[in-house]
Amino acid sequence: MATTNVTIDLASDITDNALAVSNTTQLNTAGTTTGVTAMTSVTKVLSSTAQADLIPRSTVSTTHAYVYINNPSDDETKYFKITIGDHTGGEVEELGRLYAGDFMFFPWDVDDDITCVPSSSDDMTIEYMVFS
Amino acid sequence: MATTAQITLSSGDIAGDPVNVTKTATLTKADSLSDLDQSTGLNRVHLRSTTQKTLLSASATGRTPGDNKASKVYLINKSDDASLYVTVSINAQTIGKLYGGDFLFIPWSQTDASANIKVAATNWTSSTGDIPIEYALFHEDQDFLTNA
Repeated sequence: MATTNVTIDLASDITDNALAVSNTTQLNTAGTTTGVTAMTSVTKVLSSTAQADLIPRSTVSTTHAYVYINNPSDDETKYFKITIGDHTGGEVEELGRLYAGDFMFFPWDVDDDITCVPSSSDDMTIEYMVFS
Repeated sequence: MATTAQITLSSGDIAGDPVNVTKTATLTKADSLSDLDQSTGLNRVHLRSTTQKTLLSASATGRTPGDNKASKVYLINKSDDASLYVTVSINAQTIGKLYGGDFLFIPWSQTDASANIKVAATNWTSSTGDIPIEYALFHEDQDFLTNA
């Protein structure tokens, strides 16, 4: 086992009284206090607005993983639709749009592929890490 | 007004060399450099049923399906029992399980009126006790209020 920690810090002054949230957790295998043992880190450059099979479920051997995805663009018009489902034509649910500079982090049940749709056919870089 | 989110991923032994990734994002409106300007604030609810519940309703927004609006969701399972999990779904699609202490931070498109974010305390029993979760939504334009 390995020890992998993730921390999120949120700070907002949208409301009159500012919000500050900080939490740290260890990434563990499903339902245990045993750390995850595998990590994948990938950077891809996509040059089409076609849906891309970003993280196939076949690349992960467990049924519980953690996914970090980053859009490193500094062009505010360049985003990725992040979707989950059967990219071969089945039902696909759009989670959300990852705008320039945004990241997302979530647990994944590794039941369907994680796919993405770039907003532009210009070269667009997307980065991800999977811990399982 | 601004909202920032920072994530740090670190491990000294999951790879041959230490891993340390830190990313900070300033949350902006869609295709814009303008800051998100609305928030639900931080909420806390206790789950005490295996029944799936709607945490955030896309149908409450009244927005046009498929329009381009930015929203970010933060959700954490505050249970200190590592075996107790909350199954998180959008519409009929399961995303994953948040075990005790785990969190997620994702964009949320609300592509149609069915794209609700749902939670279920799937392995809750009367002997496990409540599973507390906390969540916040940061967004633009739509008000997320239901009609009286």
